[in-house]
Parts: sequence; C-alpha cells; structure tokens
Amino acid sequence: MAEEYLLQMTGIHKRFGGVHALDDVSFRVRPGKVMCLAGENGCGKSTLVKIISGVYTKDEGEVVFEGNTISKITPAEATRLGIQVIYQDLSIFPNLTVRENLAINSEITAGRKLVNRKRWDETARAALDKVGCDIDLDAKMGDLNVASKQLVAICRAMLFNAKLIIMDEPTTALTKKEVDALFETVRQLRDSGIAIMFISHKTDEIFEISDDVCIMRSGKNVYTGETKNLTRKQFTYYLTGRDIEDDYFVPKNISPEPVLEVKNLTIDHRVKDVSFDLRKGEILGITGLLGSGRTELALALFGLEKPTAGQIVLNGKPIRIKSPIAAQKLRIGYVPEDRLTEGLCLAQPIADNIALSSLKRLSKAFGVLKRKDVIDEGWKWQKTFSIKTDDVTKNASTLSGGNQQKIVLAKWLANDLDVLILNGPTVGVDVGAKQDIHALVHELANQGLAVIIISDDLPEVVVNCSRVIVMKEGAIVGEMTGDGITENAIAEIIA
Amino acid sequence: MNKAAMKRMTRRTEFYMFLVLIILIAVIGIVSKGSLFESTQIVTILRAMVVDGMFAMCCLVVMVSGGFDMSFPAIAALAYSLATTICLNQGWCQTSPIAGFALSIVFGAILGMFNGWIISNFKLNTMLVTLGTQTFFTGVSMGLLQLREITSTLPVALKKFGLSSLFEVTNSAGLKSTMTTMFIFLVILCAVTSFVLNKTMFGRALYAIGGNEVSAERAGYNVKKTKFILYTVVGAVSGFIGMIRVCMASQSIPKAMVNKEFTIIPAVILGGASIFGGEGSVFGTVTAIGIITLVNNSMLLVGIDSYWKDFFNGLIILIGVTVSALQAMRKKH
Repeated sequence: MAEEYLLQMTGIHKRFGGVHALDDVSFRVRPGKVMCLAGENGCGKSTLVKIISGVYTKDEGEVVFEGNTISKITPAEATRLGIQVIYQDLSIFPNLTVRENLAINSEITAGRKLVNRKRWDETARAALDKVGCDIDLDAKMGDLNVASKQLVAICRAMLFNAKLIIMDEPTTALTKKEVDALFETVRQLRDSGIAIMFISHKTDEIFEISDDVCIMRSGKNVYTGETKNLTRKQFTYYLTGRDIEDDYFVPKNISPEPVLEVKNLTIDHRVKDVSFDLRKGEILGITGLLGSGRTELALALFGLEKPTAGQIVLNGKPIRIKSPIAAQKLRIGYVPEDRLTEGLCLAQPIADNIALSSLKRLSKAFGVLKRKDVIDEGWKWQKTFSIKTDDVTKNASTLSGGNQQKIVLAKWLANDLDVLILNGPTVGVDVGAKQDIHALVHELANQGLAVIIISDDLPEVVVNCSRVIVMKEGAIVGEMTGDGITENAIAEIIA
Repeated sequence: MNKAAMKRMTRRTEFYMFLVLIILIAVIGIVSKGSLFESTQIVTILRAMVVDGMFAMCCLVVMVSGGFDMSFPAIAALAYSLATTICLNQGWCQTSPIAGFALSIVFGAILGMFNGWIISNFKLNTMLVTLGTQTFFTGVSMGLLQLREITSTLPVALKKFGLSSLFEVTNSAGLKSTMTTMFIFLVILCAVTSFVLNKTMFGRALYAIGGNEVSAERAGYNVKKTKFILYTVVGAVSGFIGMIRVCMASQSIPKAMVNKEFTIIPAVILGGASIFGGEGSVFGTVTAIGIITLVNNSMLLVGIDSYWKDFFNGLIILIGVTVSALQAMRKKH
C-alpha cells in the first residue's frame, strides 16, 4: 500500500558546538506534492537539507522514508533511496559538454573506468527524455543560460529514479519568464508522482507553487501545513516573528523646484526620448520588465551609459555626466542591483566599506588616511542606520543580507548627496530586512534627498514611491502619482 | 561538419594555434628559401621537441585538474642526479640503461608523492606548494646529498642509449643528421596522455575537478585520491623524462633543469590550457611546443641573431595568453 507520506522527519535536533542549529524540527513530505521549506537566511534550512541528503548526521530525531525508519543517512544511501538535491550552484561542470554533465554521476556510481561515448549518449538522452526537454548534448555547459543549466541539473537528478527532489533556492538567478518555465517543469514532475521540496524565501513564489509549506525560524519550525490554509500576512508573521505592516510612503516636504530634469534622453534603441523631473523629498519609482530600458536610464544618470541624444539638467544647469566620478562630484549616488558583487568588498571591514566613497573627504594632505577617522566614520553610520554589529572593524561578510545593504547605502550617504538612485534595493533580501531598508529610504527622502527606485518588484514600488514611471521597450508608457499607484494599474501597462 | 560544431571549433584556442603554426611554417619556409624543409632541419626540430614536449604533457594534466606544478623540473633533476650517481657508484648501467631509468622513475614517484600528499591533504594552493617543494628538492640535491655533475664518467649504457637513432638523413649539402630513439617516447607519452585524458574516467575526473572541484566531489569522484595519484604519476614521469635528457646530453647536471617550468607552463597555456583548470588538450599543447621549438630553431635560418630568442619567446607567450584571456572574456558576455 502506498504510504501517505514519502518522508517524515520528527523531532530533529542538530547542534554545532554551542549552536542549536535545529531545535525539534518536524515535517512531512507527501508524494506528488510540492513542499516549500521557507525561512530567512540562517534559520537552519540548509542544515536540514544536509541532514536529509546525508551530508550531516542528526543528533536526535526520527527519519521515516516510505514507511521505513532510516537510522543513518549517508550521501550514497540518500541517492539509493531516491533523494536528490539540486544545489544552488547546480553542481555542474561548466567546462564539460551537456552529455558528460548528464552521464558523469551514473558512470561513477557504476564504477566505470573507461569512457564509452555511446553509453554516455544513451544515458544523456534518457535523462533529457525524463523531463521532456531538448538540449544540444554537444554544447558546453558553461555556454547555456541559467534556466537551461537548471534543466540539465533536474534531468540528471531524474536519472537516479528520484522520488524526492530538493531544490535549493532555484529561482535566485532567473528572470520571471524563466521562473515560469521552471515552475512548469516542477508541476510536470509533481504530476508524475515525484515529491518536490522547494526552498525559498520569496512569498509570491511559495504561494504560487507549493501545496504544503514548512516555515522555519531560528532553528525551529514554526508552521507546517497546507499552503492554502495560510494568508500572506500570517506567512510573513511566521517567517519573521513580527508583524510587517506595509508602511506607505507619504512625502512630507517636496521642493518646489526640481533638482533633476531629464529631457528627451535617448540611448541607442534602448532608451527612447525619455523625459521626467525629480524633486527633493520625493521617491520616484521607475519600473518595467527586464530589458525595458529602466537600468540603462539609471546608468546614464550615473555616467555609465552615454546618452545619444537629450539633456540632463541638474539644479537648473544642463550637465553632462561622463563617468561615475563625475556623477559623484555632482552629488548623484547609485546603488547597484547586485550588492554582493558590485557594491561591497565582503572581505574588508565594515568601516572601510562605508568610508570607501568618501576617502577624499576623510584623507589629509598628500592623501594620507588616518585609521581612526575611517573607524569613526564607520561607527557614525553604524549608529545612524543601527547596523547590527558589535565591531565595525569586522569584515562586511559577517553581516546579514539586510545589514550589508545598509552598508552599501551608508557608503553613498557618507558623501552628501542630492540624488540617490537605488536599483533593485531589496533583491534577495529577507522580508524583515526589506522593511528596515524601506523605512530608511523613507526617512532619507523626508530629510530632503531625491530618491529614484528602480524595481520590478511591484509591491515594493507601490509601497515606497510617491510617483511612478512605467517603461516599456525603452519609452515611458505611463506615469501615476499618489493613490493612483496600484499594482493593477502598473501591471496593466507594463507588459 | 554542421554549423554548431564549426562554431565550437573556431572558439577553441587550439584552432588558432594550429593556424599560427601553419603560417609560421610557411613564412619561415619562404624566408629561409626552403632550407626549413631540408630533412636535417626537420629532424633537428623534432629532436629539440622531445624533452620539452614530454614535460609539457606533465604540465598539461596538472593544469587540466586546476593545479600548477612548478616542481617537475626540480623533481626530474633530483631524480636523475641521484639515479646516475648511484649507477656510477655501483657500476651499474654498463650494458643496459634500465637500472638508471628504473631508479629515476622511483625517485620521481616518491618526490611526486610528497607533492600529492601535501596538496591533497591540506588543500593548499598547488602553485605555492610546488614552488616550495621545488626549492626544497633542489636544496636536497645540492646541499644534503651533495650531488655533482657527471659528464665523461656517465655509465656507458646511458650514453649509448642516448646516441642510438631510429634513422639517418642526409641533406642536399651532404650533411647527416640522426633521429634520436628518444623521439618514440615523446610519441608514446603524447598518445598515452591523450588516451588517459579523453578515454578514461581518471582523465575525465581531472577535467571535472578542474571545472568545479565541489561538484566533482558531489558527483562521486574521490578528489583526494585522484590528486594524490596525479602528482605521484607526474613525479614518476618527470623522473623518466629527466633520464631521457641525461642520455640525450650524455651528461647529468643537477642544475640543468633550473627555470624549465617558466618556459613549459606558458607554452601549455599558449596551447589552450586554462589557468583556471578544466581546459586543455594534447593536440593544442603539442602545437604550442611546436611553435616555440620552430621559432627557436629557425632563427639562424631566417638570419636573426639568436640573442633575440627570449624576445620572440616572450612575444609568443604574451600573444597566447592575451588570446586566451580574450576568449575567456567573450565567453563571459
């Protein structure tokens, strides 16, 4: 008789030294269902996955798979049982062909010593057939886009007669369209009876794809059950442990004169004849799909794209922004989309990161920098932004995602700015930290900063912006203000 | 050949290096008024490729696995110096060179094992480890063991083996040149390396580790064991190559191999091996060694003073490295 549950984990404990990483965690996975494991960074999600896949051993608790109690899981045992993990990095070999990437695991498991191209071919085709996709086997893995790489990883997992596929934050690097395609594959796998454990912290995705949900917070599971019995508000509460109220931005003092005016700005075919103005104290949202020209427009304001026509006017004077250095001199700041690779030196102290864009101001004659000034600057912003750290000389990598984002902001604000451009300010940030960042931006605007938020996260745009410009194929297709800004209104014209 | 396969081929460094080699042969052939194609000249160039070509194979497999071996010349030098000294003292290698080769291979393997043990157990940067062991091995050879040059007293069987030839050619001017027997070993080593890299799971493990070590471990490869075997085998082969060189030169000089790595490693990179690991082929490596040997041996033919040797070597390497960097950049976008 088929078991009602494929995997049951009860009372799981795991300690690392003094840290209680998993504290009495229990949940169940049903066959042919999608179960989402949700939680903020550091809540114990990855530890739990590693216990299921046999990388870590549990300290206490019971694991039942298909009705049999499993006393000890090793990675090999997990594979034999039909448990496959697709890690965030996908465990692929970018330098090898798709064929080899697909065939390699089963060849090793079978203890092969020699290469047999024909057998590899058969294995690889069988793998692709299981998911029903068509990818050139001779293509080099590294040349594929992220979505195709993910498909290959899924196909490879299917080769092992997987009954449970665990996907670790699979949507992180995907565009909306690719996410839809991935979800289609997930549903197809689910319908064929495979259980999927989907790890995520994105509310929308969880509600879209999952049947069941297990929410973890600080090593404990705080909710397990069907997704449909949960409202989004409850979900956020369980995730963060606090009520997150949408705090709509209401501008308090907008300057009468615009600080920045963009007139008929054009960049090749990517931005077409865009005009708008920006006043101090307001938060202007620029939204649009990927490729709508929103990012190019922002980069032009920061000197990283060259306008082919049009004019930028700052405080009444026409200007040309040739480089990021020129932009900074004009008191324009830009916070890039990917804070980890573009905005921060993770292996450097917090204070140094903050002081980075104001080295000129902090340095004395001949560019000599006093260590103490840098650290003082660090502490100053640590207090202003309540960055959670006991020591600003610690590396930026010791901070959580939200606090890292605060540093990136502090870095720019440490130089007095007139205009701050935020590109996707909360991409990949936890719900709790997201709210902190929003509150911070509201405060800055009310202190007289002109802020531009570039985002395709519609709820974020609605909550934070006093005015919104919608872009499509390089041109402005709509503008709305105040109460006129709703998700529906934007969604109608965006695509 | 379909379009996709054509595109893939033209993206490979090997393809361009082969074109460069063909063009060089044509240009030097014309400028030297055909004397490049004299049988004696061809034999001389092929002969000059033997030791460098074989070392390049060692260097290639290590680079494919994502590592750097700076110590193979030092391993070779210590292994052959010790082997020849023992043979001389014991009166071995009078009729057959086998004892000398066996000793050199065993010593090479032990030294390689030492590299492999450190690299696989402590997960250290391979370039730094082998830079350290390189100096250490040279120190053992010169200081601890007090190994000295052996020239005229080199055991006869080694000398004889080194002078043996496959065939003799005579050019239009009546000059003779012989093709050394050692050339066979270059061909065999290239064939074996190519087979191991492409047709065995061990070779594929090297590519996998070079591509993504964590994934290789997750896929089920025993990364630690693979690396240990790799460095041990490279050590043993280095010992063998060292002894080949002793035979060809009819002398055993402990310092003869110094700085050899600085010409071999760039040549292997020129041939398409990636400094990040996971890329490289025997074909590309042989082509690159061919280019460098050709240039070095043809300068007199085209009337360039041999003082310019380093200039051209450096230039070729710079071009090669730039090409591969540009390709890496293109792939990123």
